[in-house]
This record gives sequence, structure tokens and C-alpha cells, in this order.
Amino acid sequence: MSRKNRHADTHAFSNTTSMTITELQDNLKIDPATGSHPLIRFEQVPIVKGALTQLSALRPALLKDVVERTLAEFSSKTASEKALGETLYAERRRLSRASPTLFTRGRYRADQQLIQRVYSDFLRPNFDQEQRHEMLSSLVSHFAEEIGGYFNPRIYRAATKAVPWGFSWLLNAASVRHFLPWGMTESLQSRLHIVGEIPLIQKLAKIGTILLVPTHQSHLDSVLNGYVVYLMSLPAFAYGAGLNLFTNPLLSYSMSQLGSYTVDRQKNHQLYKTTLKNYSTRILEEGIHSIFFPGGSRSRSGAIESRLKLGLLGSALDAEIYGLKKGGPARRRVFIVPMVMSYHFVLEASTLIEDYLAESGKHRFIPASDDFLQSQKILAFFWKLFSTQSAITMRVGRALDVFGNFVDETGRSLGPNGCEIHPEKWLTTRGVLGHEPQRDHEYTAELGVKLVDRFHKENTVLSSHLVAFSFFEMLRRKYPEYDLYRFLRLSHAQRAVPYADFLENAEKDLERLTQLAQHGQLFLASDLVLQNTLVWAADGVKQLGQLHDAAVIRVEKGIIRTEDLNLLYYYRNRLSGYGLSLRARASSFHPLPLGNHDDQGFLA
Amino acid sequence: MTIKDFWRNSKVGVMGGGSWGTVLANCLSQNCQEVRVWLRDEEAVRLMNSTRTNSHYLPKMILGERVHAFSSLERFFEGGLHATLWALPARVCREQARKSASFFSGDEILFHATKGIEPGSLKRISQVLLEELPCRRIGVISGPNLAVEIARGEPAATLVASAFQEVCEAGQVLFCQENFRIGQASDVIGVEWAGALKNILAIASGALDALNLGWNARALLVTEGLAEMIRFSTALGAQERTFLGLAGLGDLMATCCSPLSRNYQVGFRLAKQERLETILEDLGQEAEGISTAGSVWEVALRQNIPMPITHWVFCLLEGTLRNDLLRVLLQSPQAGTNRN
Repeated sequence: MSRKNRHADTHAFSNTTSMTITELQDNLKIDPATGSHPLIRFEQVPIVKGALTQLSALRPALLKDVVERTLAEFSSKTASEKALGETLYAERRRLSRASPTLFTRGRYRADQQLIQRVYSDFLRPNFDQEQRHEMLSSLVSHFAEEIGGYFNPRIYRAATKAVPWGFSWLLNAASVRHFLPWGMTESLQSRLHIVGEIPLIQKLAKIGTILLVPTHQSHLDSVLNGYVVYLMSLPAFAYGAGLNLFTNPLLSYSMSQLGSYTVDRQKNHQLYKTTLKNYSTRILEEGIHSIFFPGGSRSRSGAIESRLKLGLLGSALDAEIYGLKKGGPARRRVFIVPMVMSYHFVLEASTLIEDYLAESGKHRFIPASDDFLQSQKILAFFWKLFSTQSAITMRVGRALDVFGNFVDETGRSLGPNGCEIHPEKWLTTRGVLGHEPQRDHEYTAELGVKLVDRFHKENTVLSSHLVAFSFFEMLRRKYPEYDLYRFLRLSHAQRAVPYADFLENAEKDLERLTQLAQHGQLFLASDLVLQNTLVWAADGVKQLGQLHDAAVIRVEKGIIRTEDLNLLYYYRNRLSGYGLSLRARASSFHPLPLGNHDDQGFLA
Repeated sequence: MTIKDFWRNSKVGVMGGGSWGTVLANCLSQNCQEVRVWLRDEEAVRLMNSTRTNSHYLPKMILGERVHAFSSLERFFEGGLHATLWALPARVCREQARKSASFFSGDEILFHATKGIEPGSLKRISQVLLEELPCRRIGVISGPNLAVEIARGEPAATLVASAFQEVCEAGQVLFCQENFRIGQASDVIGVEWAGALKNILAIASGALDALNLGWNARALLVTEGLAEMIRFSTALGAQERTFLGLAGLGDLMATCCSPLSRNYQVGFRLAKQERLETILEDLGQEAEGISTAGSVWEVALRQNIPMPITHWVFCLLEGTLRNDLLRVLLQSPQAGTNRN
């Protein structure tokens, strides 16, 4: 966009009628006392029983179904032959590279024995379809057994008590540093802001099955998600957890007893992926609410997810079809609820962004050092989290059906102009209700697009996000001809601007964000709405200076500077995808598709 | 039941009774059980049902036995339709979709054959229909198809583009004729934009003929025009290779070279100094290129996309011409060097 046009844009922003602060606050739907939705009470909530309680009893039949369905998908001769070959190749390769620890050795040996046995069968000169089926069957059963979880209500009860206890302990221990008067303990509620469509999810959980899909930035997300589900008075959710977390016997025992199923990202062959998808489908069909991260792993760039894993997401549609075919009063619909987490700072930020830059920049990115985070830093993270005035905002979004239509509180899907959509009609092809792989794939792809859009719209912008974005883009305007990798190597002297200029810029950016908020494109944290620029900017700067070894942003003697441009880029990326950045609109007609880079390599 | 069997026993509706809609209704009548055509005008309905022709646009083509016309939406949708073909002018699509939304149940397949875009919003017709109707499976029919030639049974080919395989398959079964081949495509965005943008070039092509500029100049117009179409559409997410197919280059050739096209006639007569109002009165049908040129040029200007021919056509329509077409073509990027 030319300079003239950009000016015209800002002009347009200032001319439109602005919504009053109270109206914006109403939109936020928060209780001013807690900063969370009025329905969230930070106290011991009675545990709500759900379908997950039955998991241990259901497990054998459930896994049997999973195996049968998976085998049915590979029933033809060509499909089964291809799957066997691919699986054996991938598994042998994986096992040859694995370095088992004391705790994972048992699992490793069992894997190895099975693969060795099937492999030697496979090498025999001739075998018939039945033998091939048997080989596949033993592999799929093995995978299903590994994926499937259990549920132990006693452990769940203990966990719901332990999480807030752990938080509170850290909170109060950390607060001592702030010389709080004796007895005045800070509570969890000031650090966790849970907002959004909480009444809707509560109602829908009673009439259907919820698939909660959060954004993913930090390992902390998993703990928080489980805890938020409990605080919302919902029954326990099953969740997919990376097999890499099942390394410690205590953790792995308690996780598997809490309904989690394992996801092994190292097994990237179709046979495993299908088994996993069928497990997810099967538990949704049973009415077991589930959580998984549709982005697959933590966001490397710091941006909100823009590419989703459609395989596992498709299990929602599959479960819906099985439910509709079964029919009857017991049929439960599947609802997809997006959730967006907003952190002021992310523990793993520097490792994540280095990964991202190395991956996307290849030879152009020169890593500064190989300083990877150690696990003991987690404690430091919590300490810092609770010793500062920073809160984590979690927004529960509007529920969608399996096609991405909004759902009202009676579970009806809403189509154009508020008309009702009948899912069985959309799933009928040539008069028959059922699975239709190409159609279903397309529906899931459209759901993915819709979810990405909802993630951006349900995002809560915090002061630190805006400060990082504004400062970064201001520096970019100083060096407009640099591409990303040249830009990230700016010298220390080049990385500073006068604080007063920065404030002026940040205020303009807030105006643009307010405009977006008024059009429902995002949410603003309450301090951005209520405080003046001086206050929120100072807060944002402080938040960014907290955690990392090098201050992301520091203000001294009227100058604002950054010591770590990679990290600043990471935090700045949270506001990419809104068409706000310098060249987001320059190289394309419409704002670039979400998750794309502009012609200088910056996330647009 | 096979795909063919299902569609042979189906009922299909056609929204709109222009020349292209009527020709497609006739194609449908040979491949399904019943075809219902919806027309706004009651008199036209009576005439069509009694004379078995579309006397206004295609008086020589006899309608198939299974084609029946209706003016009431209730009668048109009675008992449910398996598929609906939209063949209305772009500017009325949204209004008509909104009026008929309540008659759809959601399992219908939609096709549209409108080569235009919604004026003002620049939305493609499939976007407009998806925004108004409770259906998701939609396909677009586009290609080098001059209605009159197909009505006479002369050979032609077209494309059905949809993200859904079943829509393309249904289109192939339903519209298939002895001399009419139906291909499949998945780039809905590209096919729709190609259909809309070529109308602008057809106007330019008419003007070119009126000015007697010759075949070389026409070739330059087609080449430069195609590049213009690609520049604009790919910025909106279309795939470039679509423009080398039937819906792109194919359609461009047919419309730019044939005096049968309405847009061509508009350009031809405008260049002969006739007034736009008179031309439109004589045509009696929409020429989509007129509204498309205005909307597209506005966006191209704002977004800095070079589109000299579209600009020239826009000026011709507005009556503010300063340059002649030849000058525009000779100064176009293709006419200059083409080195990377």
C-alpha cells in the first residue's frame, strides 16, 4: 500500500463513529471483581459426572470397534499391502533411531518384538489375504491399546484439588516478594481470566458432545485447559496428550487415568493416524467430551494458528454421521468450541521462535546460540507469573457444528439469515445418509477455515501484544527495505526509538484495533479499553521485560529498545493476520490469507 | 443405485428463463425425470408451456417434453427438487435466493451458470448463493458456450467446477448431450472470475471490430486481456492454470471472436457512437460486462493492479474516452518486452 493510501486508512478510522467504553465492556461480558465471566467461581466446584466416568468399563468394546473400523478402511488388497509396507518401514526406522530411557524401555521392547514378528511374516515369499489381515490386525490392535486411556474418578478428584493448590502455593509464596501485608493473599482469580460463551458451552454439554479446540502456545495450556473445564462445572474431558509426556511413571499413570489418550507424533504413517482418528471418533460417539489442539503442536511463530490438522478434526464429522445413522433419542450431536489463550509471556518463546526462524528461513537465518530451555525454568516461570501482576486470559468461543455453522443454545445449527440447518441433509448424498470421503474431507477443510477465522476473532489482545506489535512495526518503518532476516540482525543502536514517538504510534495502533474490535474482529483486554495510553503501554513494557534473560523491551531515559529482536518478533506475531502490519496489504488484493508472509518474509 | 440411475430419476429446477437457462433446461430434460423452469413473468410462463418454445430468446428451439415452466415458487419447489440451476442475471441473484431460501431443505445440489459478479460487493455468485441458501454443495458451469450454437446442436464443451466431487459428477450426468462435453474442475474461484472478466474483454473486442483494427490487434487484445484476467484473479486466490483451460482462454476466444455475444455487441455499437441506453433497449437482455467493468476497475485502481483494457472499457461505457484502443494495446506490457 502506498504511503498516501495508508494515510487514507488512518483517516477513515478516526472518522467513524466510535463505540462507547461501556458498550465495549458489555461485549466483554466479565465480572469486574474477578475479571472472569460471572459464572466462573474460583472455589471447590462439585464434580460433574459425565460419560468419561464409564471409560474404563467401556474400554475393551471401544478398542475392539476402533480396530474393526480401522481394518475395514484397509480391507482391499492394495490398501492393506501398502499400509503394511509403509507401517513396517516407518516403524523400523523409528525404532532404530529411538533412545529409550529407563521408563520407556518396556514400551520400546514391546514395540520392537511386535514389529520384528510382523516383519519376518511379511518377508515370507507368499501369504494370502487372511494372513495379511492378521498382520494388520496385530499392528492396529497394538496401536489402539497404546492410544486408549482409562479413567479413575478418584485421581480426577485429587487432581482438581491439586491444581489450584499448586497454583495457590506458588502464588502466595511468590507474592511474599511483593511484601504483601500478612494474611492478604492473592487469589488465583486475579491471574486467570476465563471469559466468553460459558453459558452456551454449559448448555450444549448437557445435550451433545463437546469437542474443545484451544489454541496452543505453551505446555502450560494442557494443565490450564483441564482446570478450566472443571471450573466451568463441566464433566471431565478426554484429551490427546503427546506420548513424549508419558515418560515419568507417576505422570504417565495419572494422565492415563484421567482419560487422556496418547498421540505419538513420531508415528507418521497412515495406519496409526487412522487408528487414532477412529479412537477419537469412537469416544465422541460415546458422548465423551474431548479436547485436542487442532494446530497439532505449540505455535512456533507466536501467531495464532492458521493451519490446522484436519485428520483428527475430521473425527467430529465422522462421529456426527455415526450418531445420525444410529438415530433415536440417545443420539447426541457434536459441537466444536474454539478457545483462545492469551499470555503476556510464554515460557518457551525463545526456543519456539528459533525453531520457527530456522525452519522458515533455512540458510538465511543465523542462530545466535543454542541456548535451549531447561525444565527447571518452569518453576521460575510460575514464580514470575505469580510475582507479577499478569493474568492469563482464556476465551471460550461461540460453539460451531461440524460444518462450521454457529449453534444456538438448543443445539440448532444456524445457517444464512438465521435459518436452521439440518445436518442430516448436508450429510445426505444421492438420497443416502452416510460417509462420503471426498465430501466429508471438504466439509472438514471448510470447518478448518472457519475455526482459524474464529480463533482470530475470539482472540483477546493484551497490552503486551500491542506494545510488541507497535514497537516492531515502528522499527520496520525505519528500515522499510530490509527483509526479515536482515531486519533481525539490526545492531543495538538501530533497535531503539524515542519513547514519546513510540507512545504516539501505539495510540494510533490501538485506534485501529478498537476499530477491529467494534467490527467483531477481535477482543481488547479491559485495560486497553479503560486505561490511558501511558498506563497500558507501561504495563505492556513491564510484562515483556519480565521473563526472558534478555529484556524483550526496555525503556530507559526516554528511549525504548529491544535486546532480543527474535523474541520481539515472536510476541509481535500475535497480531499478525489482521492486515495491520506494514506490508500486509501491499503485495495482494485482499489482506493476505491468514498465516502468509509478505514479500519481505514477515508474517503478514 | 449408480450415480446415473439416481439423476435419471431426479427432478431439477432451473431459475430463470434467459437463453442460456433455456438451453440448459433442454439439456437437463434428456437426462432427468422432470425439469421445472421458474420465470418471474406469468405471461411468459403461459407462452412457454403452450408454444413449447422460449419465444422471446430462442423461438426456433423446441423444448423437451419434460420441461415445464412455473411462476409461483410454491409450485416450482413442490415435492422438493434434487438439484437447482441458477441462470439469473448477477444483480438479481441475491434477492431471488433470499426469497426462495425457505424452500430448500439442504440436501440439494446447486449449479449456477451466471457469468458475472454481484455489482458493488464484487462477490462471486457462488458466494452470494452460499450466503443466502441453506445448502453447501454448489458448482459453477462455465466455458465457451454461445447459447444459440448449443441450441442448434453444434459441438461444444464446458466445465463444471466445484469443491465437491459429487457436484461435478452430477453435472456431468445431468447436462451431458451428444455434442456437448462436460469437464470437471475444482478451482471455483478461477472459473467464476474467468467467466466474469471475459465479458469486459468482449466489449473491447466489439469495439476493436468496429474500429477495423484487424486480426493482429485482436490477438494482442486476447493475449493482453488474458494476462489482465490472470493478474486480477490470482490476487483473489484463483489458480493460473484455470485460465489456460475452457473457462479461461476457451471462453475468451468464443466471446471475443463471435458477434453473437451480447457484450461484443455493446462494444461494437458503442464504438460506432451509439448511445448505451439505445443499445441496451435493443438487446433486451443483460450484458454483464457493463456492471463488471465498473466494479473491477474500481478495485484494480485502488489495489494498483495494472488493467489498461478494463480501464479503457470503463471509460468507453462512461463516455469519457481520451485514448483510442490501439494506443492502449500498443503500450500494454505484453506488447513491450516480455523478458524476466
